[in-house]
Amino acid sequence: MCWRLRKLMTRQNLVLTTLLAPVTLFLGVFFLLPLVIIGLFSILSPGLYGGVEWSFYHWNYGRIFGWADGIDEIFEPIYLQILLRSLGFAAMTVVLSLLLCYPVAFWVSRLSPKTRLFFLFLVTLPFFSSLVVRLYAWLLILKPSGLLNSALMGIGVISQPLEILYTPAAVVLGMVYIMVPFMFLPLYSAVDNLDRALIEASMDLGANRIQTFFKVILPQTLPGIMGGAVIVFIPSVGNFIVPDLLGGARGLMIGNLVEQQFLSARNWPFGAALSMIIMSVVLLVLLSSLGRAKKAGV
Amino acid sequence: MKAQGIALALALAAGSAHAEGNLALYNWGDYINPDILTKFTQETGIKVTLDTYSSNEEMLAKIQAGAADYDVVFPSVHMNDIMLKLGLLEKTGINESATFKNIDPANLRSKEDPKSEYCLPYAWGTVGIFYNEKVTGPINGWQDFFAIPEKTGGKITLLDDMREVLAVGLMMSGKSVNATDPAEVKLATDYILTQKPKVTAFTYDIATLLTSGDIAAAQYFVGMNMITKPIEGMKYVIPAEGATMYQENMCVLASAPHKDEAKKFMEFFLRPEIAAMNAATEFNGSANIPARDLIPEDLRKDPNINVPAETMARLQIFEDTGKALKLYDRAWNTIRTTQ
Repeated sequence: MCWRLRKLMTRQNLVLTTLLAPVTLFLGVFFLLPLVIIGLFSILSPGLYGGVEWSFYHWNYGRIFGWADGIDEIFEPIYLQILLRSLGFAAMTVVLSLLLCYPVAFWVSRLSPKTRLFFLFLVTLPFFSSLVVRLYAWLLILKPSGLLNSALMGIGVISQPLEILYTPAAVVLGMVYIMVPFMFLPLYSAVDNLDRALIEASMDLGANRIQTFFKVILPQTLPGIMGGAVIVFIPSVGNFIVPDLLGGARGLMIGNLVEQQFLSARNWPFGAALSMIIMSVVLLVLLSSLGRAKKAGV
Repeated sequence: MKAQGIALALALAAGSAHAEGNLALYNWGDYINPDILTKFTQETGIKVTLDTYSSNEEMLAKIQAGAADYDVVFPSVHMNDIMLKLGLLEKTGINESATFKNIDPANLRSKEDPKSEYCLPYAWGTVGIFYNEKVTGPINGWQDFFAIPEKTGGKITLLDDMREVLAVGLMMSGKSVNATDPAEVKLATDYILTQKPKVTAFTYDIATLLTSGDIAAAQYFVGMNMITKPIEGMKYVIPAEGATMYQENMCVLASAPHKDEAKKFMEFFLRPEIAAMNAATEFNGSANIPARDLIPEDLRKDPNINVPAETMARLQIFEDTGKALKLYDRAWNTIRTTQ
């Protein structure tokens, strides 16, 4: 019996290893290896014409955090400011897309199965066309003579065109627009799995609507909220297309800064150092919020 | 077997009677007349593929990273110099071709390749101000440009490019656009910062906004004339205080798999009628002297496109600033972060 079990276990292990090997190999080659290269480049000296020179160089981090020689490398607090600003925009994107998607998720989950499927299809529809094309469409909608302003002026809500294009508001709008599907899908699956009997029970036992929401509905959908928030937050921090196209490049985001180091400043190591910092900050934010969620009993 | 058969059939269908191989071009977006490629293929049977980039550094990074399939690239002159120093370019001996005499010696601008033993001058142009005269009135230079928002309420944009934007500040401070002195770059930064509140955006995507009237004026490459010139009231001017010019050269990569085909393409482009085909659609200046007479008359007579000598005198071309590029990078970060 015991021998048979062990044999089964090893066979299971073998199957598991075989099944996981391609994935492990894939992640190792296409995720870990690039990550190691970025980490390595971030402590090397920049080549004059791009690339790296193979000597240890800590100023890439120094110029961000405050130790720099003041000759070749100068410390400037703007890099931390840019990082904070980008985190702020990402947080705002998370909150706004959550507020937008949460009620809609409830609404969609109550529809008949057929209409529900249709709505889920609608949510994923934007993925069928290129992101850049869709953002150009927003540029045409938001511009002073664009669709939005002519519509609002046509019905007499405003007399002067609104200045939205090339403002931070346009950046947030564009980011929320891109991220809504990523927020909606995990939220919807959490809401769809919500045990309606518990809501009825809560109401029967005398809780009012607000109490029911905070004590029953919210905790049960929290995993969906957390999932959506994480998936929206990470790409939002590093996004550089939206600030460029809709923000008119007037406010620098950390993603733009990284792009610029590789594509115009020819400073790969500094770009790599900035990428490492983005990754660590995002990881920290995630771990701390997941830790808090765990404590809250999710 | 079946797949092989299909591949063979495709090859037979695509190649003409004298199939000779391929040529992979890596050029800026919208920077070559596609008819030239078609004509080249018709004449030689060499199939041409075209990929595009949007900055010299993007191209350099790809080539350095080992994108070995490209044959011909079109770096700006300063990048031409850098690529030569890095040993990335192939000596073609194009200057020994019989038709090389068509090339204007004034266009041999590369410091590392003064005799054009490697690369062929491809095209050159200016970066100036496009404006909607109905809104802005006549515009002569940068001073008029930055006065537009206050005077008329019209919006203005600059390029999303650190060298081009800082060049405006440097020229307005009377300095070289290739300044490497931190104090001079600081002057330029301060100039741009005082203008920033009036600048609606730093962007390349300006054509639709300019033609729809949402933007009154924009810093842009002369090539946008292909869109704006037919529109009444749309004008282009090379600013009175000074402007930058650019020139790209056609170079063969040392790693090019099709060097013979690449040289054939260079020689093809030395023909005046081919160079003129390009200048006519791209609105650029041509380095090919006889080609200049073949360009449509309205372009030839426009002093902002076919630039006379006295205007040439106020144009500056970018050079590689070496380590001082860091100064520009920091200045550009400050400009974009300051609200």
